[in-house]
Amino acid sequence: MLSVLIWLPIITAAFIAVLPLNIPANRIRLGALTLSGIILFWNLFILLKFDINNPGMQLQEYLPWNETLGLSYKLGVDGISILMLILNSLLTWIAIYSSSQQTERPRLFYSLILFVSGGVAGAFLAENLLLFFLFYELELIPFYLLISIWGGQKRGYAGIKFLIYTAVSGALILASFLGVVWLTGSSSFNYDAVSTQALSTALQITLLLGIILGFGIKIPLVPLHTWLPDAYVEASAPIAILLGGVLAKLGTYGILRFGMALFPQAWSIIAPSLAIWGAVSAIYGAVVAIAQKDIKRMVAYSSIGHMGYILLAAAASTPLALVGAVAQMVSHGIILAILFHLVGVVEAKVGSRELDKLNGLMSPIRGLPLISALLVLGAMASAGIPGMTGFISEFIVFQGSFSVFPIPTLLCVVATGLTAVYFVILLNRTCFGRLDSNLAYYPQVEWHEKMPALILAVLIIFLGVQPTWLVRWTEPTTTAIVATIPALEKTVTPQIALKE
Amino acid sequence: MDFANLASQLNAGTILPEGIVILTLLGVLIVDLILGRTSSRWIGYLAIAGLLTSIVALYFQWDATNPISFSGEFNSDDLSIVFRGIIALSAVVTILMSIRYVEQSGTALAEFIAILLTATLGGMFLSGASELVMIFISLETLSISSYLLTGYTKRDPRSNEAALKYLLIGASSTAVFLYGVSLLYGLSGGQTELGAIANGIANANLGQSLGLVIALVFVIAGIGFKISAAPFHQWTPDVYEGAPTPVIAFLSVGSKAAGFALAIRLLTTAFPLVANEWKFVFTALAVLSMVLGNVVALAQTSMKRMLAYSSIAQAGFVMIGLIAGTEAGYASMIFYLLVYLFMNLCGFTCIILFSLRTGTDQIAEYSGLYQKDPLLTLGLSISLLSLGGIPPLAGFFGKIYLFWAGWQAGLYGLVLLGLVTTVVSIYYYIRVVKMMVVKEPQEMSDVVKNYPAVRWNLPGFRPLQVGLIVTLIATSIAGILSNPLFTLANNSVANTAILQAATVVSTQASAVNTEHPEGL
Repeated sequence: MLSVLIWLPIITAAFIAVLPLNIPANRIRLGALTLSGIILFWNLFILLKFDINNPGMQLQEYLPWNETLGLSYKLGVDGISILMLILNSLLTWIAIYSSSQQTERPRLFYSLILFVSGGVAGAFLAENLLLFFLFYELELIPFYLLISIWGGQKRGYAGIKFLIYTAVSGALILASFLGVVWLTGSSSFNYDAVSTQALSTALQITLLLGIILGFGIKIPLVPLHTWLPDAYVEASAPIAILLGGVLAKLGTYGILRFGMALFPQAWSIIAPSLAIWGAVSAIYGAVVAIAQKDIKRMVAYSSIGHMGYILLAAAASTPLALVGAVAQMVSHGIILAILFHLVGVVEAKVGSRELDKLNGLMSPIRGLPLISALLVLGAMASAGIPGMTGFISEFIVFQGSFSVFPIPTLLCVVATGLTAVYFVILLNRTCFGRLDSNLAYYPQVEWHEKMPALILAVLIIFLGVQPTWLVRWTEPTTTAIVATIPALEKTVTPQIALKE
Repeated sequence: MDFANLASQLNAGTILPEGIVILTLLGVLIVDLILGRTSSRWIGYLAIAGLLTSIVALYFQWDATNPISFSGEFNSDDLSIVFRGIIALSAVVTILMSIRYVEQSGTALAEFIAILLTATLGGMFLSGASELVMIFISLETLSISSYLLTGYTKRDPRSNEAALKYLLIGASSTAVFLYGVSLLYGLSGGQTELGAIANGIANANLGQSLGLVIALVFVIAGIGFKISAAPFHQWTPDVYEGAPTPVIAFLSVGSKAAGFALAIRLLTTAFPLVANEWKFVFTALAVLSMVLGNVVALAQTSMKRMLAYSSIAQAGFVMIGLIAGTEAGYASMIFYLLVYLFMNLCGFTCIILFSLRTGTDQIAEYSGLYQKDPLLTLGLSISLLSLGGIPPLAGFFGKIYLFWAGWQAGLYGLVLLGLVTTVVSIYYYIRVVKMMVVKEPQEMSDVVKNYPAVRWNLPGFRPLQVGLIVTLIATSIAGILSNPLFTLANNSVANTAILQAATVVSTQASAVNTEHPEGL
C-alpha cells in the first residue's frame, strides 16, 4: 500500500534509465508524466483510506531489515505526512509537466526526478530514524546532478554548494539520531521505541539543537540559507519547484517529527528563541527580496520568509498553530511551484529575468497576458491576500501563535506586509508598463506551458475558499503532538522575547 | 613423542586453504617453465580456480573445534578465516584485472601471478599467526612480494622509483617492528607465543613499564605502515601512482586487511595490559588519517593519487572500530573491510579499463565519458559514491555500522570527526562523477573524443568485465542485503576466543565512558 509510493517511482526510474537511446525526449516525458499521474492517483486513494479521526500512525508496514543496527523497514502515515505525500506526488507531476519537451539527456533527467520522488516519499513515510536518514540522504546525489547538469550559468558552483550544505545537514542529523538512541540505551531506531524522557535537560537541548541545525539547513533558516539563492536560481524551473516545494518541506517535517515530537521537554525550553529565530528569518527573507533585481531570486528569498512562519508556529506549539504550520507547508509548496513555473515561462519566452529589462507583459496582444495574470494571482497568494490558500494558513499560524509569542508574531505580520511590498515591485516592473517595441517579439505560449499554472491556480483558490480541505487531515495528529509538550509560561514569554 | 601425538600437536589441517594456494603457486610456476608464454591465455584462470578452492576450504574450516595448530604458532579461529577470505578474494579480483594489464605492459603474466600468490599467502598466514616469529615471517613474505610487484613494470621509471621508496620505507619499518617484537621477547622472559607473552609480562610485573610502552610503539609503527595510517603513510601516494594499477588494487585491500588482522590479533592478545595506551595511540592515528587523507585528497589531479589519499582516510575510518574494542567494533571493522573490498576493486577495475583504452589516469581526462562508455561511468560513479558513504550503497552501511559501534563505545569525538571528514570526502569523490557525468559533450577531453569503440571480446577484456560487473553488483546491493554479511562479521567476532577476553575489559571501560555523559 504505502510501499508502492516509494518503489514504483524508483523502479520506473531504473527502467527509464536503461531505455534505448533513439526514443525522443517527448515520449520519455510522456511516460514519466503518466507514471507520476498514476502515483498521484494512488496517493489520493490512500487519502480515501485514511481515517481522519485517528491521531496515530495508520496503514503501517513492517519488515525486519537489519537487527544489528536497529534498522527496520517500518512505514506509517499520519495526519502530517499524508499531506506531505500528496504535495510530493502533485509537485513531481507538475515538475515533469512543466519540463521542456526537448530536455537534453531526457532519460537521466526523468529517471532522477522519479528517483527523488520515491526517496522523498520514503522519508515522509519512514517510522525508523535510520530509515528516515537513509531516504533523506538519498536525495543528495540526484539533486546535485539535476542542478549541475540542467541549470543556468553558474550551475556547477550552485550544485557543489548545495551538495556540501546538504551533506553537512545529514551529518548533523545522523549524529543527533545516534545520540538520541544510544544515550537512552535503546537498541532500536524505531520511532515509537525512542523516548528522550530519561536524558538530562542539557543533553536533550544539545541533541535537539543538532537536529534543528541539521534540518534548518534544509528548510533553510537564516543564517544557514546561503546555498538557497544559488541553488534555486541556477536550477531549471521544474527542479526549482521540487527543491523549494518538496525538499524544504523535508526540513520542516523533520523539525516537527524529530524535533518537537521527540523532545517535548527541551522543545518548551528553547521555544522562545525559536520563535525569535522564525521571526528574524521571515523579516530577513522579505527585506533581502526587496533588494533583488532578478525575479527568480525574489521568489527564492520569499521562500525563506515563508519558512520562518512555520518555525514560529512550531515554537508556539498550540494545537491551532501546528495545524497552521502544516497548512503553511502545503500552501507554500503550491504557491512556490506556481511562481517558479511562471518565472520559468517568462524567462523562456522573454529571455531575461532582470527587473530592469522586463516590462509590460500584461499587454494583451504582444505580451504574455495569461501568464501575467497568473503571476499576479500567485504573488497575491504568496503575500497573504484573503481568498487564497496563503492567507488561510498564515492567519491560522498567527492566530495560534499570538497568545504565546505576541512580539514575534507581530514581526511576522510585518514580514507579510513586506512580502506584499516586493511582490508589488515585481508585478509593477514585469507585468505593468509598456512593452519595448524593439524587443517584444515573444514566442507563443503553448497550452501545455499554461496548464500546470492553471491547475495550481485553481487549487490555490479552492483551498482558499474551502480551507477545511486543507486542515481537516491534520487536526487529530497535531493535537496529539501538542498534548505531550509542557505548557509554555505564557506570562513570562513577552519579557523573554523582549530581552532576547 | 609418538606420531599421533605429533599430528595432534601440528593439526596441519588448519592450513589447508594456504596449502591449496601453495599448490596453485607451484603449478603456475611449473606450467610457465614448461609451456612458456603460450600458457598465459589460461594461466590466470588456473590461479583463480586455486584461490576459489582455497576459499571453499576456508568455508569448511568455519567454527572448527580445535583451531590452534603447530603448537600455538597458527590460530585458525573465525577471525582469521574472515580475513583470509578477504585477502584471497582480493587476489582473485586482482588477477581478473591484471590479465590484460600485465600483457599490455609486455611482461610475463605467470611470474606476476606467482608473486601475487606469494603475497596472498603471506597475508593469509599473517591473519592467523599468533607467534612472534611466524608473524614476522609472514609479514616479510607479504612485504617482499609487494616490493617486487610494485617494481614489476621495470621499464617504467616511475614504477622503479615507487619500488625503491616502498622497499626503503618498508624494510626500515619492518626493522622497527622487529625491534619491538624482540623487546617483547625479552620482557616476557623468553615467550614468543602471544598469549604467553601477556602472561609473562603480567607475572614479571612489567605491566606499565617503559619497556612495554616502547615495544608497543615500535610494533604500532610497523602495523601503521601496512595499513597506511598517517603519519606512516608517506609511501602510499607515490607507490600508488608508480606501481601497476592491479598491484595497487591488491595493496589497498589485501595488504591493508592483513595489516588490520595483525593489529587486532597482536594488540588484543599481547598488549591487554596497555589497552588504554594503544587505544590512545590509535586514536591519534585515526584522527590524523581521517583529516590528512581527506583534506589532501581534495588537491589531487591524478586518479591513482586521489585513491591513495582516500585509502589513507578509509584506514582512519576503520580504526574507529579498532579503538572501540567492543564486539560491535571489531565486527564493524570486518564488515567495512568486506564492503571496502568490493568498492575499491570496482573503482580500480574502472581505472584500469580507462587507462587501457586511453593510456592515462588524470582526473581531468575523464570529462564527458558518459557518452562514450556508460558502463564504465556507472561503475566508477557507484564505487566512488559508495566510498563516500552515499545511501543505499554498501559503503553507507559500512560507515553507519562503524560510527554506530564508535558511538556505542563512547567515542563521540571520533565519530563526529568521521562524519565531518565524510562530508569532505564526498566533495572529492563527486568531483570525478562530475567530470564524467555533468560535463557537456563540447567539454569532452581530447582523450575521450578519441575514445576507442568499446569492445569486450578483445583478449583479456572479458575477465575485466566480469570483475567489474560482479563488484559493481556487490557494491550496489551489499548494503541493502547486508544481513548475511553482518551475521558473518558478528559471528566471526563472537566465536573468536581471543577477542572475548579483550572485549570484556573494554566493555567495562566503555561502561565507564557511557556513564560520563550523565554528569554533563
